[in-house]
Amino acid sequence: MSKYICTMCGYIYDEAKGIPEKGIPAGTRWEALPDDWTCPMCGSPKSYFKKIKEEPAPAAASSAAAAAATAAVAGETRKIPAGYGDEDLREMSCAEMAAMCTNLAKGCEKQYLFDEQKQFLKLAEYYQSKAVTAVDPSAVKLLELINKSLAEEYPAAERPIKADNDRGALRVLTWSYKVTNILQRLMQRFGAEGKALLEHTSVYVCDICGFIYIGDNPPAVCPICKVPSLKLIKIPRERLLCVQ
Amino acid sequence: MRAVRNIRLCTKDCLCLYVCPTGATDTEDGQVDWKKCIGCGMCVKACPNGALSLVPEKYPVQQRHSKEVCDVLFAWAKIKVAAETEAKALASQAKDPVEKQFMKALETSFRRQTEDIYRECGYMLPQSANTRKLLNMMLEREQDPAFPREAVQKLLNELQVQLH
Repeated sequence: MSKYICTMCGYIYDEAKGIPEKGIPAGTRWEALPDDWTCPMCGSPKSYFKKIKEEPAPAAASSAAAAAATAAVAGETRKIPAGYGDEDLREMSCAEMAAMCTNLAKGCEKQYLFDEQKQFLKLAEYYQSKAVTAVDPSAVKLLELINKSLAEEYPAAERPIKADNDRGALRVLTWSYKVTNILQRLMQRFGAEGKALLEHTSVYVCDICGFIYIGDNPPAVCPICKVPSLKLIKIPRERLLCVQ
Repeated sequence: MRAVRNIRLCTKDCLCLYVCPTGATDTEDGQVDWKKCIGCGMCVKACPNGALSLVPEKYPVQQRHSKEVCDVLFAWAKIKVAAETEAKALASQAKDPVEKQFMKALETSFRRQTEDIYRECGYMLPQSANTRKLLNMMLEREQDPAFPREAVQKLLNELQVQLH
């Protein structure tokens, strides 16, 4: 008996257990599931599953372009307290400052401090306006950046977190790692299928962890962070203006 | 302590209005009036849907991480920011609305991830010493007339300093 994992959302199909509530008895082999069977969590087709214990898909070799993309967006920097409680400071680009400010705006929103939320959003807008724009952006470069981060930066980040047994840090890294894997898969599919990937359906982004769902019926809870689907926010498609 | 109302859970049974001794729960914007709330918790006990809860005026200090952990998480966030920048540029130059929508979704996803990481690394609470210092550093550093100084000043005045 084997287990198969959905590469889209992480759902695991266990042959030994089946899905009795959906009419799939325990012991049903993967091969016996119909070809049009889809992931009960995210709706991905059967072909998106892979057998567990296989080596993870090799990430593309890191490229100079990916490294350059990280460096190129630095521009002018600011200093902020480093975060661990000492007097040390940390350099931040304006783009990072913008994300810091939207984070703090969210912190205010959660505490029902709506005026304070507005002030942080003003600051975020300012820093966003000062942020460096990507030069010659390309989907290939973006995918390289994702591939490299999964292959290199993720294990490097995981090491000290595991060594400290720091559950909070492990939580945030794990969610982001899972979401990044999903984004990698989506970017690969977008490269292969083009806009057919989402042309006739909708796109949602989880407001908590960043999980992306492509389809018409978002799962009841986010498969990554488990927040109810009301926090999966639909990304609108702009209509092209018809000029007569 | 003071009461807050989760509007999504509120089913307008209005028991909070019946039990509130100061009228703080009866407002036009759905929120509890903190100028009137005395933190007695009666509305929290009375609400059949758990829409009301009590929060402290001063929050405790956030759980700390080691320097090494903060460093790797900020480094991980840096990649997310670079990816967001790339997706943002792709979204703004995309001519096709479907491609634009896809890039916008990616851009949003990277931002949510970055926010979550910063939240974990010492910037969960707007009332924290880190945030306060950050705001003060902004006032010192930003000389650009376009910088919204009044927003920073307002935040320094409005945000209570947390417990130490």
